[in-house]
Amino acid sequence: MAGQASRNFMSRRLGLALIRAIVTLLIVATLNFILFRVIPGDPANMLLAGARSSVTAEQIEAQRQNWGLDRPLFPDQVVDYLWASLHGDLGYSFKFRGRQVADLIFERLPATIALVGLAQIIAILGGVMLGLYAGWRRGGAIDNIATVSSLALYSTPAFWLAMLLIVTFSTVSGWLPGYGAYSPSASIASVDRLLDYLKHLALPVAAVALGLIGQYVVVARAAMSEVVTEDYMVTARAKGLTHRQMLMHHACRNAMLPVVTLITLNLGYVVAGAITVEAVFAWPGIGGLTVEALNARDYPVLQGIFLLLGASIVAANLLADLAYGILDPRVR
Amino acid sequence: MTNSFPDKEPLLRVDGLSVDYGLKGDPLRAIDGVSFELRTGEAVALVGESGSGKTTTAMAIAGLLSPNARVSGGQVHYRGQRLPIDDDAAMRPHRWSETSVVFQGAMNALNPVHRITKQIAEPCILKLGMTRGEATARAIELLELVGIPADRGVAYPHELSGGMRQRVMIAMALACRPSIIVGDEPTTALDVITQAQILKLLRDLRSQLNLALILITHDLSVVAESCDRVMIMYSGRVVEDGTVAEIFAEPKHPYTKLLIASIPNPANGKKMIRPIPGDPPNLVNRPSGCAFHPRCPSTMSVCTTEVPRLGRFGHGRVACHLHPPLQENMVTVHA
Amino acid sequence: MTENIVKYPPRGRTRAVKRFLGQFLRDRGAQVGLVCLVFFLIVAAMPNMLVGPLQTAINATGDFLAPPSGQHLLGTDEVGRDVLNLIVHGARISLTIALLATVISLVVGSTVGMASGYFGGWVDTWLMRITDFFFVMPSFVLALIITPVVLEVMGRSGYILGFRLSLFVIITVIGMTSWSFVARIVRSQTLSIKERTFIDRARVVGSSNLSIMVRHILPNLVPQIAANGALVVAGAIYIETSLSFLGLGDPLQPSWGTLLSLAQRAGAASAGAWWYLGAPGVCALMVSLSFVLIGNALDDTFNPRRRAIP
Repeated sequence: MAGQASRNFMSRRLGLALIRAIVTLLIVATLNFILFRVIPGDPANMLLAGARSSVTAEQIEAQRQNWGLDRPLFPDQVVDYLWASLHGDLGYSFKFRGRQVADLIFERLPATIALVGLAQIIAILGGVMLGLYAGWRRGGAIDNIATVSSLALYSTPAFWLAMLLIVTFSTVSGWLPGYGAYSPSASIASVDRLLDYLKHLALPVAAVALGLIGQYVVVARAAMSEVVTEDYMVTARAKGLTHRQMLMHHACRNAMLPVVTLITLNLGYVVAGAITVEAVFAWPGIGGLTVEALNARDYPVLQGIFLLLGASIVAANLLADLAYGILDPRVR
Repeated sequence: MTNSFPDKEPLLRVDGLSVDYGLKGDPLRAIDGVSFELRTGEAVALVGESGSGKTTTAMAIAGLLSPNARVSGGQVHYRGQRLPIDDDAAMRPHRWSETSVVFQGAMNALNPVHRITKQIAEPCILKLGMTRGEATARAIELLELVGIPADRGVAYPHELSGGMRQRVMIAMALACRPSIIVGDEPTTALDVITQAQILKLLRDLRSQLNLALILITHDLSVVAESCDRVMIMYSGRVVEDGTVAEIFAEPKHPYTKLLIASIPNPANGKKMIRPIPGDPPNLVNRPSGCAFHPRCPSTMSVCTTEVPRLGRFGHGRVACHLHPPLQENMVTVHA
Repeated sequence: MTENIVKYPPRGRTRAVKRFLGQFLRDRGAQVGLVCLVFFLIVAAMPNMLVGPLQTAINATGDFLAPPSGQHLLGTDEVGRDVLNLIVHGARISLTIALLATVISLVVGSTVGMASGYFGGWVDTWLMRITDFFFVMPSFVLALIITPVVLEVMGRSGYILGFRLSLFVIITVIGMTSWSFVARIVRSQTLSIKERTFIDRARVVGSSNLSIMVRHILPNLVPQIAANGALVVAGAIYIETSLSFLGLGDPLQPSWGTLLSLAQRAGAASAGAWWYLGAPGVCALMVSLSFVLIGNALDDTFNPRRRAIP
């Protein structure tokens, strides 16, 4: 009975979350459309600007019809735009002539995922454990050091850390490369090339991970500090549990609830999280593409990136809802 | 008191226990020289306002003093052995195996993310060395003992009603077959009917399992039907101690009299609780002499200067200048 | 949280404020944060008196990328400008952007949250739907796409109150995209305050909705708004620095983020010019950390926690 009811509740909750996600994504796409129209100039011209070197009046007219630009702005054009966006048809880049925006983005995506994915794993392993421990031993030496340094890291722009890392580990000591993903002289041999790639990856990963660690420590510590004030921890103590047992059996599971939510939400920022850091290292990922597009005022590419960021954030939110439902029996 | 084995060691003996909170330089004395005994199977109520020290006394016995508390005097003996109540790690074997606690507001006292069977079984595994299967079987047995059907064992705390949660809490307290159960206002958050059911359950279990009970409450009305003896506390000191019959029939201490008078009694038309006039005692700046003297209707001049000694009076004990101890000479303690 | 909402009589309120300040100022983090913040506010208030007018490539006084020396305490940049001069003027720009953006964010957030909680019904439904969108989408991501478009439409030139128009674009975009958190907190507080008797009393004596909100509800929200305001400032500094670093700042009135962007373009990192990229970053870090510390201390003071286990 109760199980049935809670399953219904759960699916209702997920249904609502799904609707919210779709609405959010539609707003993102609509915002894209509006921004695109606000920019001075003929949209048809702009959509075609990157397609070929020279465009005739007939071609523009043909495209106007093709893109539906001769039809009323609302609802026809909006609907068309949204429909095209959802199909991954994001128009042509201004800067990279003749290239589809979607192609450009998917070409750059793996480099970003490698960078941020690795950084996330390191930051989660280190930051969450440190944060939970600091919250458990609140006021202790480790807590004080962890809190001060994580607040400092939390407040530090990640790209500035990246610049400091380059000065220290690349310019001054010469230990690691601080630019690009491969050395120009690197051989084609696969093992060498992989090693070369990993060397190039080291500093960007360190910069992104340091930026994230602060956040994980702060949240995990706050969650644990909250948990140790709960009545059920007094019960656990009254049961004669050792501190270790109290920590492992009662505190961690509860403290992990907000932390897991944060981790899942951060999956959505995998793409957005490293834009500035990638810019510093000239890392050939989405961040690098963003900076190039910003400098060239390449709006179609910027919009494609915005849509991608929106989609990943919305997906991560949906996942966070799901994860919370699994971990916390109260919301099932 | 009629004690058939006068030389037999009681289950629990508390001697002059004092507990301070806060910093060493400026401590706050929560309880001051509390002494009493508890025999096997006996039920004692600790009654007082908040800040009277009843909870601190009970938590000290259960080995659950908070980190900022310090035992500044006295000792506690359990079955003739001195309990290291100010040593968190050394008290661990004692907890739950000998003394367990039924907390108030079981919603927060139960872990929200674990099923109730698991929470009851946990101490059986960790303290009695049972396997998971044995412990789960015991948990279900205990749930049935407190009147919860076995199939509810898979429930989470939030899926149960307040009364059910309190029953789970009681089942959990019985897990390691303790000799003493501390009930920390176990019925406060419940409605009157559920309250009566829980009190009856506690009474039945007590006679069935020969458990001693220390019931903390601010409500004298729940005491009559569930306890043998009552200890009234005021401002960290025991002011009166006697059997339920004696205390209700013939209270000695003016504070006890006022407490009893304040119980709402529909039979003689008193429906509202009549509060005791005056402010509850201030622990930082405890009144000189008898701490109750500023609110006492029959203050004498000696009350403002000398702390009354808790002496034998009839079958019980009382600490009041109106009732000087009968046998011994009056000994005064200067605060 | 809700227990802290008390309707103080005038004198009681003064006493409560005094007690609060006493407790707040005992917090080590708050002390460090306040001292640091006051220092930067003084610097930002009178840059010309401290280091003279903002140097440009034309009136630059030093060598290119010279390390710190007696003449240039923090070295020079790639066109020979004094870095100390740049960051002192940058303080004014960065703090102005962050504080004004926060004001916008707090005003919008409080208004939306209060209206939503006070009126309820469809007002609440729609306002919260909008809030949800801004809650899900991070301010930085929204600002990244909106700022360049608005700059393109409005243009960068022109001055308002002595600040370049492009800075106001950044201020507005940050402010308009980072209010959702404030709105949510203010809404939940408003919901609980609305039920209290003094609101009914005000309604009975015929106060208008607006006057009830401004005179009775708003004062009780000050704690929440203050604690979150400090964190919004820290976030605004982070976003401004990142946006400016990506080239959306104004080179004629460089903030710390713009200076870092210039340093990056000049290859300061690979040239080992640590003073050039170090100085603006340290400033941004210190101000942002100050606000985080103050925000945390405010939160601790308003919501004290006990500890149940040793």
